[in-house]
Amino acid sequence: MSFWVGGVASLGLAALMAPQAASAHHSFAMFDHVNRITLAGTVTRFEWTNPHVYIELDVPDAKGGSKHYSIECASVNVLMRGGWKFTDVKKGDKVSLLVNPLKDGTAGGMLETATFADGRTLGDSNPPGGVFER
Amino acid sequence: MRSFAVLVLLIAALSTPQAYAGGAKSPPDLSGVWTTYPSRAKGPPPDPKLVAPQPTPLQLNAKYAAAYEAKRAAQRESDKRGEPLANASTECVPNGMPQMMFPIYPIEILQTHGQVTIIAEAMSQVRRVFLDQPQTKIEETPPTYFGHSVGRWEGNTLVVDTVGVKEEVLGYRDIPHSDQMRIKERFHLVSPDVLHDEVTIEDPVVLEKPWTFTFAYKRSPGYQMLEYVCDNNREYVDDKGVTRMRLQNR
Repeated sequence: MSFWVGGVASLGLAALMAPQAASAHHSFAMFDHVNRITLAGTVTRFEWTNPHVYIELDVPDAKGGSKHYSIECASVNVLMRGGWKFTDVKKGDKVSLLVNPLKDGTAGGMLETATFADGRTLGDSNPPGGVFER
Repeated sequence: MRSFAVLVLLIAALSTPQAYAGGAKSPPDLSGVWTTYPSRAKGPPPDPKLVAPQPTPLQLNAKYAAAYEAKRAAQRESDKRGEPLANASTECVPNGMPQMMFPIYPIEILQTHGQVTIIAEAMSQVRRVFLDQPQTKIEETPPTYFGHSVGRWEGNTLVVDTVGVKEEVLGYRDIPHSDQMRIKERFHLVSPDVLHDEVTIEDPVVLEKPWTFTFAYKRSPGYQMLEYVCDNNREYVDDKGVTRMRLQNR
């Protein structure tokens, strides 16, 4: 579940300790992998950076207002290996994100899959046929 | 006629099943990009003859074992609460040796005259192995993340010796180490495209006996290594040592 966990030498250990594929940065334990949510909204900012890519999103609420979410994606490296381009998301895009929300209830989470403004859907990591880890 | 005989011998050699000895070139060319083997993505099952052997039992000295187990238990509990404890990587500090050899991301090996250079894509970590040089004394080696590495070829095996890794750098599976740690590695091909790095940690202060584990890699021809600069770290450590994610308003 991170760089420092498990190892190729012991896949059993890695499987035991990793709720998801391994990350180069930190544990995923702060995110809720069971109670996933879908957030549809407008991108206010897209940060193509390491250790993580971020999508800042305004999601309309029932009262005509909106709530802002910060969504953490994998690293630039992993997303590129999964077929992402830095031009796939832009400010103002309407996107739909399947997210593992933060367990502490604050308005953030970790991306699972993204549906872009042009209708394409890409996973955060391990795309079908992909060969690399998150 | 002679060339025909050579051809027959060559075909015989190529078709004879035998343990992989590293190919015709000695020492073998390890240059190129390598990724974890087996890949954890969906695909055909790995060849059991090529996967890394299981680690030997880890035996920490009693003094360190209790603290290590307590820390692991605290990490498990903390993860269960959804409040993972922070560590060096959370703060974008390089993994150092030997953990940088764990191939979550690709690594690249460059063989040049007198030196083998290993680059890990994650955190853009670089280590240099100086060939056919004497190792420095531990007490005279300044502490660094990757230590001071010297190596030599023993047949088709690259044997590497590393000392001088900072004590703050946690080892494989987060084990602690003292300033007396010595890392011995044996790089060898187990097939034309699968490489093993057999790592032995010697530490008379922390370990009851040396601990050996192996990293396995597969060639990844054509892959171009990417940069990795950790300049937008939104994870931070709160006053309880828990990893949190910094949110933005817009």
